Amino acid sequence: MNRPLAAVAGGLSGTAALTVLLLLFEVETRSQIGMFDVVARFVGVPGSTTVGFVLFVAAGTLAWPLLFVAVEDSVPGSDPAIKGMGVGVLLWIPFLLLGRAELSGAIVFAFAGLTLVAHLAYGYITGAVYARLTGRTPSSGTLGDGSELQG
Amino acid sequence: MSLPLVPLLAVVSVLLGGLACWRRRESTDPTATESPRHPASLRTDGGEERPDGGRRTDEDRRVSEERRTDGGERRADSGSESQMPVIGTLYGREHKTSKPYGLMRWLTSVDHKDIGILYLIFGLAAGMWGATDAMMIRTELFTPGTDVWNAETYNGLFTTHGLTMLFFFVTPVFTGLANYFLPLLIDAEDMAFPRINAIAFWLLPPSFVLVRAGLLTEVLAKVIDAVGPRVEFLYALEPPTMGWTLYTPLTTQLANPQVDLLLLGLHLSGLATIMGGVNIIVTIFTERGEGVSWSTLDILTWSLLTTSGLILFAFPVLGSAVLMLLFDRNFGTTFFAVEAGGPILWQHLFWFFGHPEVYILVLPAFGLTSQILPKFSGRKLFGFKFIVYSTLAIGVLSFGVWAHHMFATGMDPRLRASFMVVTLAIAVPSAVKTFNWMATIWNGNVKLEAPMQFLVGGIGLFVVGGVTGIFLASVPVDLVVHGTYYVVAHFHFIVVGIIAFSMFAASYYWYPLLTGRMYNKRLGTIHAVLSIVGVNVTFMPLFLVGLMGLPRRSAQYPVEFTLLQQVATVGAFILAASVGIWLFNMVNSFRTGPVVRTPDPWDLKESNQFSREWQWFERRMTEGLSNPQALADGGRVADGESDASNDAGSDAGAGDEDSDADADAEN
Repeated sequence: MNRPLAAVAGGLSGTAALTVLLLLFEVETRSQIGMFDVVARFVGVPGSTTVGFVLFVAAGTLAWPLLFVAVEDSVPGSDPAIKGMGVGVLLWIPFLLLGRAELSGAIVFAFAGLTLVAHLAYGYITGAVYARLTGRTPSSGTLGDGSELQG
Repeated sequence: MSLPLVPLLAVVSVLLGGLACWRRRESTDPTATESPRHPASLRTDGGEERPDGGRRTDEDRRVSEERRTDGGERRADSGSESQMPVIGTLYGREHKTSKPYGLMRWLTSVDHKDIGILYLIFGLAAGMWGATDAMMIRTELFTPGTDVWNAETYNGLFTTHGLTMLFFFVTPVFTGLANYFLPLLIDAEDMAFPRINAIAFWLLPPSFVLVRAGLLTEVLAKVIDAVGPRVEFLYALEPPTMGWTLYTPLTTQLANPQVDLLLLGLHLSGLATIMGGVNIIVTIFTERGEGVSWSTLDILTWSLLTTSGLILFAFPVLGSAVLMLLFDRNFGTTFFAVEAGGPILWQHLFWFFGHPEVYILVLPAFGLTSQILPKFSGRKLFGFKFIVYSTLAIGVLSFGVWAHHMFATGMDPRLRASFMVVTLAIAVPSAVKTFNWMATIWNGNVKLEAPMQFLVGGIGLFVVGGVTGIFLASVPVDLVVHGTYYVVAHFHFIVVGIIAFSMFAASYYWYPLLTGRMYNKRLGTIHAVLSIVGVNVTFMPLFLVGLMGLPRRSAQYPVEFTLLQQVATVGAFILAASVGIWLFNMVNSFRTGPVVRTPDPWDLKESNQFSREWQWFERRMTEGLSNPQALADGGRVADGESDASNDAGSDAGAGDEDSDADADAEN
């Protein structure tokens, strides 16, 4: 599969996971974080959660994965999934800064932790699916056939 | 029903219909199925074929030893080498019974290893959810006031945290390990009742949904909100707030309908657990292979046998008690309302189940510790017989200690004294185990691999948890610290300290066998260090908080406890980070870890401890020599590497089929 298409497929899987996780966290925290208001603020349309969410999905499926493909080769490392986690962290920082607007106190820890997990999952899944579809999953050799990797 | 829902339903129906059509066409494709040539191909016991057409012969044992038992193999004797591999299906005109590929494999499997993996994944998912509850609890407790979640949410959190972790995390994970490894350890072909095994697992997801329905209905409600109107009744289920012990009269009086669903869910999960337990007992008694006698049974099997015995006697009590509570809530019975029984009756019934449950949770952990520890100590388990005896002793004594949870209820002091004595007595077999473990390591050739790091750490933490339990067993001490954080700290040192640690140890120890790959050892060590530090930082302060008298289960607390509570919260975040590292290691190593080409990655042959599950692994590996990728048991061909002998399988277009089958077909 060609690389941009593979990245979009990865982005779709990643965004699905990210959305489900954010939805679960939103309900689990009894809506005290207002995750979808955060999403709306994050994509620049505060107050309009539906439009915000559509933009969010579009960015997660198309924009970030394609950007990822563009810069992937110039980032050190061999596993796209790990690089994807880097992208996840990069996306998480503005998500955290823009999103925590009304939150203060200890809830910021919960907000930061839960959204970090969700973004790492997004990046990892995007990168792993991309790697699988393009055959870029790295091989770490073998154990026990003479070329030992004893730890 | 309002308008926007109708098109939504239409779209969903069209999609489902299309999927069904597609599957049907695929399943009737003559090149993708194989007609049953003789009755033996209609086997339904996990899909394995017998060369003799299903009749038992003297050669059964020998034949079955030569064959793999993963249920997914293809017949060598079917005369159909030139044909496509068998793909079982629910929709085909011929009722196919070999193991299907892909998703259907996991939905329909009665193979003990598949079910074991399903249990493990279910338990892991539930554990993550329960851990999220825990993180939210600790976030609330970071500050003295009720300022993160409200008090109701907090009450819901500690309730669901307890229920989830005990019933849907620890029990399924151990049942999963038992499912996978018990038949391998006793050289059985499968569990005694493969279908009951599958039912026992598939009852768990619905029971978990019942117990935690509120969250799921609310997710559904929010999704519908986004596209349609607000469906009010989906918001009716609030998180249950009475604590996992379900004490009456609170539980009988809560109006929240979620409580009823929770009781039904617990009942269902109890049924599932009992089925699993019966299956384990019967398997150990009747399915042992030749050469596996009671005297050569391994220590994990002994632990699982005892655990299952406890399940058999304890869980029916929970089932009955839960139904009585349900009747009290819904049908006007008065089991727990009148003077004769009253709330204290609930406590007796609950803890008559509840304390054996504690040992149901911990005995498999002891078993895993006893099983794995010698492998990394280079010595046989010290005092094997005494560990078996102590396990059995714990099994018996565990039914005589329940009232130590009720010392503060004003029960008769003579009864209290007798329960105190038995509770103190149960410390003896536990200590026997601890000393035997230490003696096993003593002068051994210790290899500090990740499993060993967790076992050593787990034993150390268990000593702390166990010794503080002895203090709690003493009536005068218990009356002082009853219902405080001291109790929380005590049982978390055990539940996290040895139970979760033994699971982590097992996950590393058997990782090569389960996945055919090796985990990242550096991450494993980081995980171990962070976990050991995390448990101490989280739960040590709680001992102090408890000794200072702070009651548990409150969202707010006086300011003088702030520092200790904050330290505990930091510890909890360390633990969370360590679990994240573990999860990453497991998933990422499954993708990219070094492929294991030796059947003995832990050098067990060196110390003459190459136990039966690894012998099975070696048989698989030797048989799969022509296809070295055929090690992973998840039914997957290892990523990104093609194999010449895989041609027959790849023609079928099923990306994740069990590639052992191919090697077998060539025999």
